[in-house]
Amino acid sequence: MSEPYLRPLPAKSPGTEPFWEAAAEHRLVIPKCNNCGDWNWIPYPGCRTCLSEDQVWTPASGYGTLMTWSIVSRGPPGFPSPYVTALVELDERPRSIVMLGNIVDTPHEDLKVGMRMQVVFEDIADEDISIWRFKAA
Amino acid sequence: MAFPSRKAAVVGVYLTEQGRGLPRTAWSLELEAIKGALDDAGLRPDQVDGLIPMAYVTPLNLHMAWTEQLGGKPITYLDVGSGAGAVAKAAAAIDAGLCKVCVIYFGNANNGNGPGAQKRHDKAPRVDDWDYMVHGAYMSVWYAMWTRAYMHQFNVRQEDLAEYSVIARYHATLNPASIMGKRGEITVDDVMNSRPIADPLHLLECPLDNDGGYAIVVAAEDIARDCKKKPIWVLGGAEATYTDSYRTITSPWISNEGAAVRRVGEMAFENSGITHDEIDVAGLYDCFPVTVARDLEELGFCKLGEGADYIKAGHLRLGGKMPSNTDGGLLSHSHNGNPSGMHTIEVVKQLRGECGERQVPDAKIGLTLAQGWAVHGLAGVAIMAAD
Repeated sequence: MSEPYLRPLPAKSPGTEPFWEAAAEHRLVIPKCNNCGDWNWIPYPGCRTCLSEDQVWTPASGYGTLMTWSIVSRGPPGFPSPYVTALVELDERPRSIVMLGNIVDTPHEDLKVGMRMQVVFEDIADEDISIWRFKAA
Repeated sequence: MAFPSRKAAVVGVYLTEQGRGLPRTAWSLELEAIKGALDDAGLRPDQVDGLIPMAYVTPLNLHMAWTEQLGGKPITYLDVGSGAGAVAKAAAAIDAGLCKVCVIYFGNANNGNGPGAQKRHDKAPRVDDWDYMVHGAYMSVWYAMWTRAYMHQFNVRQEDLAEYSVIARYHATLNPASIMGKRGEITVDDVMNSRPIADPLHLLECPLDNDGGYAIVVAAEDIARDCKKKPIWVLGGAEATYTDSYRTITSPWISNEGAAVRRVGEMAFENSGITHDEIDVAGLYDCFPVTVARDLEELGFCKLGEGADYIKAGHLRLGGKMPSNTDGGLLSHSHNGNPSGMHTIEVVKQLRGECGERQVPDAKIGLTLAQGWAVHGLAGVAIMAAD
């Protein structure tokens, strides 16, 4: 039997259902403003650029570049040791989207600032949620 | 309208014991700190009419509960914020007649920030959808990522940043109240060979995670002149934020335009009328070495990318151009959860001439930078002076 997943998981708060439904299908959707066309990450009720509430969950490329990362040896309870936490800047513009997440399936020695990364999803065993991760593209 | 320089002063400061696992409550530590700081000033609890708690979350009912605790006299100035920014805002509120005696305070017991303080669960806990802990990005991890980005962008050696840990420890050895001072001095090799925490950071590049309380009393000019200790005048300051808390960043992360720290630094130098060369002693928020490097750059003490060189040159060390964090700072004195007022307390003691072995000779003008809640995301500056 595999170890239970004991890291914190998103609560799926009201209004975020489309994000988690897409994640379950391993698709990345991000709010895009219908008024000004800008992307917004993390999701907020209003667009950061024009404050419109008319935002639509829109498929994003899921590709970007590695800004920075840390190989964490001393993690909170429930985390494997080590794990890698990173910031990835997606290709979408004009407003840049920097996502925080864990890197999987990529040798640590291959990590380089600016390398191409892609968003993948992990179905969490025995939980009703899939979480985005990054791996080398 | 100009900032009301010298219309209010820090008249009382107090630190409780700082340490791991204190058998106390946060409330008890705060109460001890408030009583201690008022006693340091020679003021009575019933003279307090302004409250700025430094709690993690500060709903108005927190101010109301403390109003009750302090005896139930109307409190007429209720604010939130970070240590140095709170000092500046208290001074402005006092000048506007909103209060005369404002207490800035914080206490923490058994509620650490680090991974060791997180609870073990039998089932995955549910948190806010975009919470950083989903990705294990506790504070050291965020600052590790910032350190790597900084070293890459400016071709900075980690050993040069680590010089800050060495300076902080040296200062702590001169501060009997510090947690790490009794362990003695360390070298850059000690830092680089200490246990890896979140690469590239090692244990000795990370802050302490302990309990403790503190309080700062700011009072109007007429009251300040009659207090027990010499008043430390507030010359200027400001507070700013530019981002949500540890959940997202804007790209580029480190830019010439700067953000919250750059803004408050510019405002504080302008509204105090003080220049960089006039600062005799400083308290620079120092949760990690890179934070200090970036503080120096954003406040204009050096150019972007030159913060590590400034540290390596020894300018922050006692005897240097601008001795900073002379208590040992957050790495070697105390990081008590929200230590944003700690730097101000040490600079006030320096300007009073109370620092004994670690006293900066003839310190007349000091600057403090509080930071926190996100990587350089919330910042406050106060510039203060002795008579």
